[in-house]
Amino acid sequence: MKQKKRKQKNLIWIIIFILPVLILLTTFFVYPLISLVVTSLTEWDGISPMKFVGLRNYSDLFSNPIFRLSIKNNLIWAASAAFLQVPLALLIALVLRRKPAGWKFFRSAFFLPNIISLVALAMLWRAIYNPYYGILNGLLNVLGMEHLARHWLGELNTVLPSLIVSYQIYVGYFVIILFAGSLSISDTLYEASVIDGANVLQQELYITLPAMRGFIISSETLAVAFALRQFETTFLMTAGGPANATSVMALFMQKRLAAFQNGMAAATGVLLVILGIFVMKGLQTLFGMRSDAVEDAQQ
Amino acid sequence: MKQRTISTTPFALQITAKVAKWALLILYLIIALLPILWLIMSSFKSEFEIISSPLAFPTSLNFVNFINAIRISGLHRFFINSFIVTAFATTLNLFFCSLAAFAVAREEWRFKSSFLIFATAMVLIPIIAFMVPYYSLITTIGLYNTIWALVAVYTAINIPISMFIITNFMTAIPHELEDSALIDGCSFWQRFSKILVPLTVPGLVTAGTFTFIGCWNEFVYAMLLTSSQEVRTVQYAVRFFNSEFRDDYGGMFAAIVLTMIPTIVIYIFMHDKIVSGVTAGAVKE
Repeated sequence: MKQKKRKQKNLIWIIIFILPVLILLTTFFVYPLISLVVTSLTEWDGISPMKFVGLRNYSDLFSNPIFRLSIKNNLIWAASAAFLQVPLALLIALVLRRKPAGWKFFRSAFFLPNIISLVALAMLWRAIYNPYYGILNGLLNVLGMEHLARHWLGELNTVLPSLIVSYQIYVGYFVIILFAGSLSISDTLYEASVIDGANVLQQELYITLPAMRGFIISSETLAVAFALRQFETTFLMTAGGPANATSVMALFMQKRLAAFQNGMAAATGVLLVILGIFVMKGLQTLFGMRSDAVEDAQQ
Repeated sequence: MKQRTISTTPFALQITAKVAKWALLILYLIIALLPILWLIMSSFKSEFEIISSPLAFPTSLNFVNFINAIRISGLHRFFINSFIVTAFATTLNLFFCSLAAFAVAREEWRFKSSFLIFATAMVLIPIIAFMVPYYSLITTIGLYNTIWALVAVYTAINIPISMFIITNFMTAIPHELEDSALIDGCSFWQRFSKILVPLTVPGLVTAGTFTFIGCWNEFVYAMLLTSSQEVRTVQYAVRFFNSEFRDDYGGMFAAIVLTMIPTIVIYIFMHDKIVSGVTAGAVKE
């Protein structure tokens, strides 16, 4: 009897304890998700009443060449995260795993850019690419390669690669994850392989990589999620230019919102969430992951 | 001691591997650090030095740029706003999340695992997609163009990561301590405040570090939800340095350096917490 009473009293406490988080999650995650879908079916300038237009915003979006280009750029960003950023991080993590002299310093230094704001780094990279006083052209001049110096962010064929290169400064985030993952592999596996006559390359290929599978999948998922929602780098460095060549969905959405086309902006938001889900599903298929495989790999 | 270095790898391959290893480490070190060092270097240079010799070290340490930066942009006001927003959002986030994490980690109730999954899975939703709903929500509740709009949004969007970290820490604490406290007649609240919170301080610090850095660096909603100088934060200010410092790159660089100081200081002191937080977050994804 007393036990039951205490349980009931506890239940009230539990409700009080989870209530703030529940309210905030509902207000700032669940409601926005629903509201986003509803708004995407309307024509709305944010002030006058919403006008229901069905799927017209979506059909308008897909017939908009800038929007289609934005999706393509989003996919390029996602691919750069999956096939450039994470492999680079993996390579660095594998080197650090052998604990070369100063590995702690390297690990800290590599992560440092991640704690600096995207805004500061974007302004900084703009200065680096600046055709007049930028360090990149300066470096090329010093090395006697003046012919390579150019207006990096102003030319159509260099602007997107320049943005993606600047984004690789965040590789350190995944170095930390993959490095921690590599340390969890038991030494006995390597000892056994040495007896079997395996060399370094074989050790990495047949022991380290399979054992780190779960961490690699985690990193790929996070890296792609981050790259897809990437907005600041593009917004601050090129604002989508030149000639919309670097536009991405988040930027397209912000521009619609600034033009009071809330319905169109919301439809873009919905598609951004959906694209995210699709790309992550695609990644999971690519890595042949079952949901339990991750946990197995991490045991 | 170091079993891993013993291997049957041929000597030539070992040498190649060694060269490749150091080349990779040093190359990436340059990519990661050189831009930031260049920024700091440039902030001490005169305008003439920045344009004429962008790669050289400053000839003398002058703080003129820093003084100009504060004078021209009124940087101190943005700093105060950023500190208020970050302090409130981090405190509220930690308080609310530790309450909920306590309920999840230390009590048995029906929907607790669904609640935890719900709270932490939100990390995969791109917050950037919520520009439209956040804008209309904040306008509707009358918080538009106030620092409280940013406090509310920042408190909420950092919940998934904080819940994850704090719940993990609280789950790991042995039950014996609490049991004896129950016998001593501790109430629900006292178990939370007198026993669990003091034992979870490392977890709170880890989560707090992440939230602090996230809030300090946030830009998109700082831009979207405020419109007047009085409530703007440093990240928004940085963006306009380009136009305000049209002919004063040194001032712009100095202003950017100043806005980076808080997170760099945090990184120096909380380095291990950040590393453990990133690792913990990824293992469970």
